[in-house]
Amino acid sequence: MRSRRLAAAVVVASALTAPSPRARAADPAPLREVGFGVKNGRLVVSVGLQDLFGPAERARLKSGFATRILVRAALEEASSGDPVALAVQRAEIVYDIWDEKFAIRISDGLGAERRTVAATAEEAIGRAAVLLDASVIEAVRLHPGTDYVLAVRGDLNPISEDLLVEVRRWLVQPARGQRRLGAGDSFFGSFVSIFVNPRIEDSERQVRFVSQPFLWGQVPPPPPPPKPQPTRTHR
Amino acid sequence: MLARAGAPLLVVAILTAGARAAAAPDSPPDPGAGAGIDAAATPAEAAFPEAPFGPHYVIEEVRVTGNRKTQTSLIVGELAVLGLSPGASVDASDARVEMARYRLLSLGYFLDVHLSVIRGSKRGAVVLVVAVEERGTLVINELFPATSEATLFWGGADVSEMNFLGRGINLGAGFVASTKPVVPGAHAGLGLRLHVGVPPLGGPDGVGLSVTGLYNDGSEFYRASGDDSDPDPGRFVATRVKRAGGVLTAGKMFPHNLHATASFREEWVDATLPSLQTQTLPNGSPGPPIDFMINPGSSRVGTGAVGLDYDTRSDPVLPRSGMRTALSVEVGTAAFGSSYGFVKTVFNGSFYARMPRGALGFHLFAGAIDGVAPYFDRFFVGDLDLLLPRRALGINFSTQPAPSFLLHSSIAAERYDNYAGRLLVEYAVPVWRHKGLVYGGDAFVAAGLFAMANDEDTLSSPSVGLTGDLGLRLDTYVGVFTVSIANVLSRSSF
Repeated sequence: MRSRRLAAAVVVASALTAPSPRARAADPAPLREVGFGVKNGRLVVSVGLQDLFGPAERARLKSGFATRILVRAALEEASSGDPVALAVQRAEIVYDIWDEKFAIRISDGLGAERRTVAATAEEAIGRAAVLLDASVIEAVRLHPGTDYVLAVRGDLNPISEDLLVEVRRWLVQPARGQRRLGAGDSFFGSFVSIFVNPRIEDSERQVRFVSQPFLWGQVPPPPPPPKPQPTRTHR
Repeated sequence: MLARAGAPLLVVAILTAGARAAAAPDSPPDPGAGAGIDAAATPAEAAFPEAPFGPHYVIEEVRVTGNRKTQTSLIVGELAVLGLSPGASVDASDARVEMARYRLLSLGYFLDVHLSVIRGSKRGAVVLVVAVEERGTLVINELFPATSEATLFWGGADVSEMNFLGRGINLGAGFVASTKPVVPGAHAGLGLRLHVGVPPLGGPDGVGLSVTGLYNDGSEFYRASGDDSDPDPGRFVATRVKRAGGVLTAGKMFPHNLHATASFREEWVDATLPSLQTQTLPNGSPGPPIDFMINPGSSRVGTGAVGLDYDTRSDPVLPRSGMRTALSVEVGTAAFGSSYGFVKTVFNGSFYARMPRGALGFHLFAGAIDGVAPYFDRFFVGDLDLLLPRRALGINFSTQPAPSFLLHSSIAAERYDNYAGRLLVEYAVPVWRHKGLVYGGDAFVAAGLFAMANDEDTLSSPSVGLTGDLGLRLDTYVGVFTVSIANVLSRSSF
């Protein structure tokens, strides 16, 4: 229970201290405190991304259609930036306009799925936009004495690759009145009349951050399941 | 103890180590840290479960809000294409809902669009509410500021209102005006365009109609003396040509990204030729008569044309894969009232291949004219060579010949020809994405060959030139800008 409270504290604190979610890929990723631990021989992480939802997004949770949250967390070697492992969590929130409850479906990178119900929007966000003991990698695969960071990206209503392609095709349809590239025009034309709507990005809202760096234990890593051992850590 | 209890063993940031720990709380660990998150993720990992989730609805009514300008029928029609109309069933997690949102956004009329449902007459029945936030729809299509040795300055713009009267009507206007060129006998140029395009009749997949009106009053330049590579405006003579007319075009989108058009063009032309109509050769001896490629006095151009456009590019602005090919055939004949009889065939193709750090593009252009076309319908060297100024609204303001980078090339002599081809290879590397009003930027380098010939006799040995460019292509809020070496060399902007 204590660990649950600690996890919750990290999740809430990290969300409260988070910068604006408008930061995009090109901006330096800000720092956000992430809880690391070992569970059943695997590195697990906990962090909140509730700031993916602004007031407008919270209000739209009651649209009656699914709101999707995609969280990707890459464990990287701090020195090289090389990704070591990737954790994914997909969550959907649907408000039932008759029962007036929020249904939540969450699945992870391995396809495991769980469903739950929330009475309020805050509760629904708290369950869907949070990584709580999310499994990242077997602890034995981490190298003692190596610095790691966790790079996290959360997307609200991410647009799929297929739909993005379709959208881009709509943009180039001459019938939709947005293009004037004629047969004789230069493809290197100085100024092409394609108007790209600013909302057509790869998601409606995005949060990016990196964790504080951590040095994996100088001591032997914990043995794998089924007999997980308490893990000593360094400060 | 925690593990024994079966609870997760959570270690809150206590793995932070040593000296690094002291610096960590206030600053990111590394400026580049976290950059790998995009590379590490794959589309498969981002894919949500396909199984429906949430309630199942039957749409009783589609209600549109926030559209002060855009017609409701236009929005409802876009949804109907996806099957979101009264009587239809839809799941709470139905992909068509998101698709509808982006389909409406891609019209360019709205800043934002959101779909929701409210209770209908009974449980399971809903009213589909489409809330739109309209945006300004005035778009800059082209800017023309430039200068050349022959014309001190020409400038203008081509702008469009994409949602005129809220009916999805595309109303565009363009103008270009110049100072008086220093070529003997030349007049200041003026070009005007008015374009109206209506949404496809019968819904988004119907037939779209557009009309373009044009008025040009300008001069074209012809070499009267000097070497082919000499750009001195004093060695040219000028005609004065007025053109007035228009083009009516019908277009339809077909499945598989195929778009077809048919158009009809009618123009009235009035040409005043200079008194000097014979060329003087570089050695001072009289040369052949100058071919002005236009009938003196009044004439007409009447043509009918068909075109096919096939587009599978991954992105219209900064493509990474796919292709775009366009083929058009235009016929000028007395049956359309034309004083000029010709058949003009143009093929344009671009093919893209994804590379480890960017994309490779191959751009092929080929055109042929059979018969006698007026000069403005022929292939102009400035439209082929990236290093020369292009025509603005169909008017040329430069006497600059194409540079002859190849030995024994006669490309400098070519200006308007009946046959032209170009092959360009371009390598583009993304520099950044998502940065304020500049959505993306690609650095690119392009190189290629172009060839021109005026008749079938010279078609077997055409004049060949080298061209290329190096710069940045910026995808911005208001359009696509190119900042490149060619901009500088051709003395034209963007």
